Amino acid sequence: MKHYLKTILGLLIGSVLVFAFSSNTIADSHKRVDRLRAAIIGDESTINPFTYVTGEPGWNILMMQYDSLYTLGIDGQPQPWLVTKLVRSADRLTYTLTLRDDVYYNDGKKLTAHDVKFTFDYLTKYPVGRFAKDIRGFSSANVLNDYKIEIHLKKPRAGYVRKAFADVPIFPRHIWSEVTDPKKHQFESVTNVGSGPYIMVDYKPDQYYRLKANHKYFAGTPRVEELILVKFADESSSHAAFRTNSVDILFKNIPPEQISMLKGIKGVSIVQGPLFTTQLVIMNYDHKPFHMVEVRKAIAYAIDRQKLVDTIYLGAATVGSNGWIHPKSPYFNNQVKTRYNLAKAKSLLDSVGIKDTDGDGIREYEGKPMAFELITPNNNALRLRLAELIKGKLLDVGIKITVGSVEQNTWEGAVWPDFDVNKGRNYAMSMWGWSAGVQADTFRAPELVHSNTGVGFLNLTGVSNKEIDRISNLMDTEDVLARRVELVKQLQAAIAEEMPFITLMYPDGPYAYWSSKYDGLAYISGQGIVNKLSFIPKSAWP
Amino acid sequence: MKTSSLAFSENSEISIVSKKRKRKRRFNSGRVSGIAGCTIVTCLILAAIFAKQLSPYDPSSQSGKPFSPPSAEHLLGTNDIGQDILSELVYGARISLTIGIVASIVAMVIGTTVGLLAGYYPRVLGRVLMRFVDIILIIPFLPLLILLAAYLGRSLVYTVLIIGALIWAGTARVIRSQVLTIVKQDYVLAARTIGASDLHIIVLHILPQVLLLAVGQFVQATSGAILLEAALSFLGLGDPLQKSWGTVLYWAQVRGVFLTPAWKWWVLPPGMLISLAALGFALMGFALEQVINPRLKNNSK
Repeated sequence: MKHYLKTILGLLIGSVLVFAFSSNTIADSHKRVDRLRAAIIGDESTINPFTYVTGEPGWNILMMQYDSLYTLGIDGQPQPWLVTKLVRSADRLTYTLTLRDDVYYNDGKKLTAHDVKFTFDYLTKYPVGRFAKDIRGFSSANVLNDYKIEIHLKKPRAGYVRKAFADVPIFPRHIWSEVTDPKKHQFESVTNVGSGPYIMVDYKPDQYYRLKANHKYFAGTPRVEELILVKFADESSSHAAFRTNSVDILFKNIPPEQISMLKGIKGVSIVQGPLFTTQLVIMNYDHKPFHMVEVRKAIAYAIDRQKLVDTIYLGAATVGSNGWIHPKSPYFNNQVKTRYNLAKAKSLLDSVGIKDTDGDGIREYEGKPMAFELITPNNNALRLRLAELIKGKLLDVGIKITVGSVEQNTWEGAVWPDFDVNKGRNYAMSMWGWSAGVQADTFRAPELVHSNTGVGFLNLTGVSNKEIDRISNLMDTEDVLARRVELVKQLQAAIAEEMPFITLMYPDGPYAYWSSKYDGLAYISGQGIVNKLSFIPKSAWP
Repeated sequence: MKTSSLAFSENSEISIVSKKRKRKRRFNSGRVSGIAGCTIVTCLILAAIFAKQLSPYDPSSQSGKPFSPPSAEHLLGTNDIGQDILSELVYGARISLTIGIVASIVAMVIGTTVGLLAGYYPRVLGRVLMRFVDIILIIPFLPLLILLAAYLGRSLVYTVLIIGALIWAGTARVIRSQVLTIVKQDYVLAARTIGASDLHIIVLHILPQVLLLAVGQFVQATSGAILLEAALSFLGLGDPLQKSWGTVLYWAQVRGVFLTPAWKWWVLPPGMLISLAALGFALMGFALEQVINPRLKNNSK
């Protein structure tokens, strides 16, 4: 019997060792893979520059077939891609770009300065969607030779490289010059001609996309020969398919509670990084006493953001900074401190005479109890939970919160009627969140806090602070990056001092993939893993 | 009545014996289910009343780590923000039972009123009301419920009203048919002849006769109302911050627990409590109906 057991034990150890070794060799991060199956949720139409549907992953998948003049590097900052040299005129109105001369569209035609000019002209003529907004301010383009072009602007625009050059795909003149109704024009999959690392060869609506590697790609042959994007109706079915390895990678963030479970599956890895989305508590300045900075600060002190991160996100988020900007941003001001301090919160409220005079545990302001409704959309479970916990925390300092879980439209209508801050606001406190774009470009911060709603068109709280306006105005005209960075750091300090909103946290973007099959994904800060860098040789990353 | 009992005595001995047996069996099964139902309902109601004493923690406090499995401290583990699931369920009995009972009281009041009016004025008003009852009965139930809940918003009061407004039709029918026979009774005719007003007759002579029937309907409706509340809350159409059994399931769903081993202690117990409560009221309802419902009473004689 003993002998028998030994044999079994030996066999077990042996097989475990063999398995460990074999999976080690499989997990070579630079191995080429014949086929990778990725799960996406919902249909993205034919994914050409005018038909893709979502900003993420629609745009990201689009950019696997196309290239832009600049592309985002791992740190989320724009890096030259099709461009080898950029010269900006002193008046900031003319950009002279020198292009690479070795870039081909996948139908064999060369990508030249004429295509760049055509792209800008075409988007001006047919101002459709995101890219038309990107190039706002464009006046004309002047082709100097096949690989040199001048782009003229009507007036200087800050961050033009990021907005226009790193976002807009350069599409082929020889294909699109004949198209006069880009909105309606649906390409056949075979004519989706771009210069990117992948070529779409097959598309079955509501089923899948098949992308083939472009072997002539200028930045090197993609590491995955065939990329299949499988469509799922909802998240849970895609997760079920992932767990059985029917798909190899999820092109959508996984919720925090799934991280530990998926990590437990042998062969699965999780890659995590900043997404630059935010969770905020905003307070309406028109609703007394939120016009008092002491009250706003007291509320900020009373909320234990680390605890919220640990409880709601199970650690998969970064604690919010009072200065709005993510600590992982290269322009983060590390002098701005964010603390949780109940005693400080109480003393701040006391200092402005907001005290509990009738002994019911709730403070009073001008004779009325400090009781407010914190509204939150009822289709966002995490926000609902955040509101629930904040309610408990604020009760500790004598502020009574009722959580109002309302329909998405009601919520948006109360906070941001018709998406126009000039139309006022009708709330006391609200949960809020901005998508990644608002913060990924650090220099967009004035949009949230400038009192002039022309600049501060995302000013949802009604903040009006002279110092914030002054720094914002300087930022708008400042041209030298180092000085702009200095200003944006000052702005963070000013925002922390004014506390127009409370930045609770920046959720991370966790992605799950079968690392036993494919590894070496590129997590672009603020963008995630769905990008062309994840599939081209690492040596070619900008 | 007399003729029927005469006919009874004319039957053969064997058939008398078998009928007696049948009656005994029915009586027993009704009694057993009644006792079982009463026990279940009583236990749940006691749990709801003594929730504070029975539950180990305050269900709204974060008493443990999020997503903890069952342990000595937390017998059913903790939910996504570290609240004790057992305490949530004990306190959940309050909301779930209250909504179920109040909603069926609402249904009983509407149903009895409509049934009384339709039975007492059968010609025009009765016809109109009963066609309306038919419409309510025909409408696909859950879609309408979801639509109403989504339109009106999420609060306890709305949940109660919506459920109540949709389940009264059955009660109305049963009451009406009973009223139709009562109005032909001699004492009602007598009251009418001496000039009693309609209101007087309905309230003093008819209502007492159908009240017991309404109570039986109410108990059965409660069973359905509890299930509906759970369905609404699970779909996120209740108030997700009120702790009912349905909302416990809702949070399990939105935090992806159905896919993890945690379903055993987070999904199964509230599911079983909902079934148990519905079963308890249903059993009680059946037993009551056998005693109260005149149709069933006549059959057994």
